[in-house]
Amino acid sequence: MRGSEGEGWSPRGTAHGLAQREDARKMNFLGFILTQCLNALSQASLLFFIASGLTLIFGIMRVINFAHGVIYMLGAYVGYSVVALTGSFTASLVVAPILVGAAGMVFERTLLSRLYVRGDAGAYLMLTFGLAVVLSEGIRQIWGAYPLSAGIPDALRGIILVVNQPFPRYRVFLILLGLAAAVALWKFLERTRAGLLIRAVSQNPEMVEALGTNVDLVRTGVFGLGCAMAALGGVLAAPLLTAFLAMGTNVVIDAFVIVIIGGMGSFLGSLIGSLLVAFVQVFGTYYFESLALALMYLLMLAVLVIRPGGLLGKEE
Amino acid sequence: MPLLELKGLSRRFGALVAVDAVDMGIEAGEIRAVIGPNGAGKSTLFNLITGLFRPSAGAVYFAGADITGLPAHQIAGYGIARTFQLTHLFPQLTARENVRIAAQARDKGRWQLLGGGGVLARTAALADEALERMRLSPLADRPAALLSHGDQRLLEVAMAIAQKPRLLMLDEPTQGLSIEETDHAVDNLKAALAGGELTMILVEHDMEVVFKLADNITVLHRGHVIADGPAAAVRADPVVQRAYLGGAE
Amino acid sequence: MRLGLVLGLVVLAGALLPLGLPRYLLTVLTEGLIFGLFAMSLDLMVGYTRLYSFGHAAAYGLGAYSAALILTHLHWPLPIALVLAVLTTLLVAIPIAWVCTKSTGVSFAMLTLAFAQLGYAMLFRFKEVTGGSDGIDGVPRPAGPFGIDWFQGETGYFYLVLFCLVGSYLLSRAIVRSPFGAVLAGIRENEAKARSLGYNTRAYKMTTVVLAYGFGGLAGALYAPFAGFASPELFFWLVSGRVLIMVIVGGAGTLIGPIFGGAFFLFLEHQLSEITDLWPLIFGSLFIGFVLLAPQGIFGIVAGRLRRKERAAPGGGEEAPDAAA
Repeated sequence: MRGSEGEGWSPRGTAHGLAQREDARKMNFLGFILTQCLNALSQASLLFFIASGLTLIFGIMRVINFAHGVIYMLGAYVGYSVVALTGSFTASLVVAPILVGAAGMVFERTLLSRLYVRGDAGAYLMLTFGLAVVLSEGIRQIWGAYPLSAGIPDALRGIILVVNQPFPRYRVFLILLGLAAAVALWKFLERTRAGLLIRAVSQNPEMVEALGTNVDLVRTGVFGLGCAMAALGGVLAAPLLTAFLAMGTNVVIDAFVIVIIGGMGSFLGSLIGSLLVAFVQVFGTYYFESLALALMYLLMLAVLVIRPGGLLGKEE
Repeated sequence: MPLLELKGLSRRFGALVAVDAVDMGIEAGEIRAVIGPNGAGKSTLFNLITGLFRPSAGAVYFAGADITGLPAHQIAGYGIARTFQLTHLFPQLTARENVRIAAQARDKGRWQLLGGGGVLARTAALADEALERMRLSPLADRPAALLSHGDQRLLEVAMAIAQKPRLLMLDEPTQGLSIEETDHAVDNLKAALAGGELTMILVEHDMEVVFKLADNITVLHRGHVIADGPAAAVRADPVVQRAYLGGAE
Repeated sequence: MRLGLVLGLVVLAGALLPLGLPRYLLTVLTEGLIFGLFAMSLDLMVGYTRLYSFGHAAAYGLGAYSAALILTHLHWPLPIALVLAVLTTLLVAIPIAWVCTKSTGVSFAMLTLAFAQLGYAMLFRFKEVTGGSDGIDGVPRPAGPFGIDWFQGETGYFYLVLFCLVGSYLLSRAIVRSPFGAVLAGIRENEAKARSLGYNTRAYKMTTVVLAYGFGGLAGALYAPFAGFASPELFFWLVSGRVLIMVIVGGAGTLIGPIFGGAFFLFLEHQLSEITDLWPLIFGSLFIGFVLLAPQGIFGIVAGRLRRKERAAPGGGEEAPDAAA
């Protein structure tokens, strides 16, 4: 940044960065900024699917699901297979989350729930980490080591013009779907009886149990829901990024950063966090290039130092 | 000069006045019980003295020094040790190790990374002494988690004593104990307090315990003191009897 | 103590091994010992203080790169480079420990991970110095001081690693049994209580992290001249994950467990990944099994059995339920 590339002290001082700036100025600057914002929004949308699931699971179970990234990856691969089998992207949007969500519930019932009596937070971390390892290996065994993609469905191909700047239609679809999901999830949590139950369990499980509800069932359901959300994110991401073996690890760190920034257990926090991180990533990559990765961590560090509970979350 | 002196101590939570202009003086060697119905402000008073809450008004003096509003660990440094309503121990460690670690906190060798035989030995001696006082010596090698609830409470007191405090504050030490456990605890406490070098404030609901242990009693009601004096006198006070004792004892 | 006798014998056996082993196996064993040291360093945090770290690769990578840079650019003698690498790691660990101990639990784990990832990113950012994705190659083992060069051969290096491992183990053991170590146990059992007794628990935790980084850095510093290179993968989160698994499976809170666990599993990995593709699957499933059924790890079980035998003798006390670290 500062002179290390020999271009003076401007943060946009690399030769590549300078050329980009000139181009931008020659093109439509406003359009450029707008498309980058839309880019960030579509990125935030993808991140939100994963982060919201993670924070939901933590909020109700105090479980840190380290396998969440791999579940997202599983969604991408299953989605690919559904498209390969049925030729329908819509089918994959429905089937993959359901399948993965169900698998998640099985995992929770059979393995995860054994740890509840122990009350050891570290054990959850370890168990879900083990799951991540096993699952990613399993995926590699089943689908092979090479990236797979069924491509963007025809109906969503092409570009639209934003103030004379081209912008992929698929990303617009992502933004809209993400918005719809956020609203739907919010409505579910705030306005339905099931959502009320979930919120109640996250605050005082003993009380809810005393009132007659099967809290274990709620936990299983929420875990399944969280996994389904992540899987949906995977299905949506695959046409853009292809389904590949490292996608889980990259995204789980992003997801954790988001959830920590927004506050563990806070739905709104996961939304805000997703937006923050997405914008930092998109604009950071543009202005600071290789430092963009570092920027995200610096952001997380800053938030944790100032507000250890995250911006909106409950303390552990 | 009293060891602990409270002057006009108050604490407000919004519109609620939890502690209202409390004056109190406790002499060295005294055993004072603070009683009152639920919500009278007893725990808040404790928290104010030990620095977990900051007073809204008033002052706290310890051995003449003004400790009003100081942070908790600093106040602990003045020699005030306190137990809590919920049992807090090191469950997997032996009773002796629990107390030893407590004693070590006051030892200048507590940061030694290598060796430290001297530190370990003298803190172990302090621990054994404290355990003996609380009559817990036979249980010294037992993991704390395996002690009965009553013994765990006593172990907490032993940990507090091992730090050689000038003032010991016990917050409902017999809460949750059965009748036998309570008798056992009171006997041990009484034995530990014989000799008069320890000053103690005790919050208690169990009146039998109070009358067995306390020299003086302070009665709180809705945040202010409604009676204060020798145990027998307070017991006989009609105001107190009406407000709190209900004549059942 | 019986355990001491057993250990002494093991060390002796270890010292005599090179005389009988084929060169290839000796190399694997050396790497195993390096990894064992790495795992032991993490045990100080995880097993004794319950500070779960997902970023311990940072210690390893720091040590490795420091050593690699000193050796390739300055050509200073190997022992001196090792010492300097450890010092560098310790210095860098201080601000890391300071930041990470600001939080607890998951936030702590994520912060450690963040630092490791940050380190990883920094390697690419400063690729002129670090070689970027290529790393640093051709790391030598310069002789000296005073012309000593016995560590330049495979057997010699094995002894060097063994020496460092045993020394680190003894040092760690002494620390764990000191007044300082006792406080760590208290923090592990009930940090709030330790704090209310008057301990500055954050300072204790910080020190533990720095110590763990120091030993981990030593492992990394031993690795670079062993393998002859240092590369960014050393900072990768999977390395952190692997060593964490070693600690748990080996037996958290025993020091010995992670050493043997680390060495043994590395050896197993080398042998089995030749034969089967399924090793990571087996490894992960094994780990899940341990977390669910035997959280005290292999050595935790062994130590528990030994303790029970001691207590069966007259005069023994009882054992707390679930006496896992």
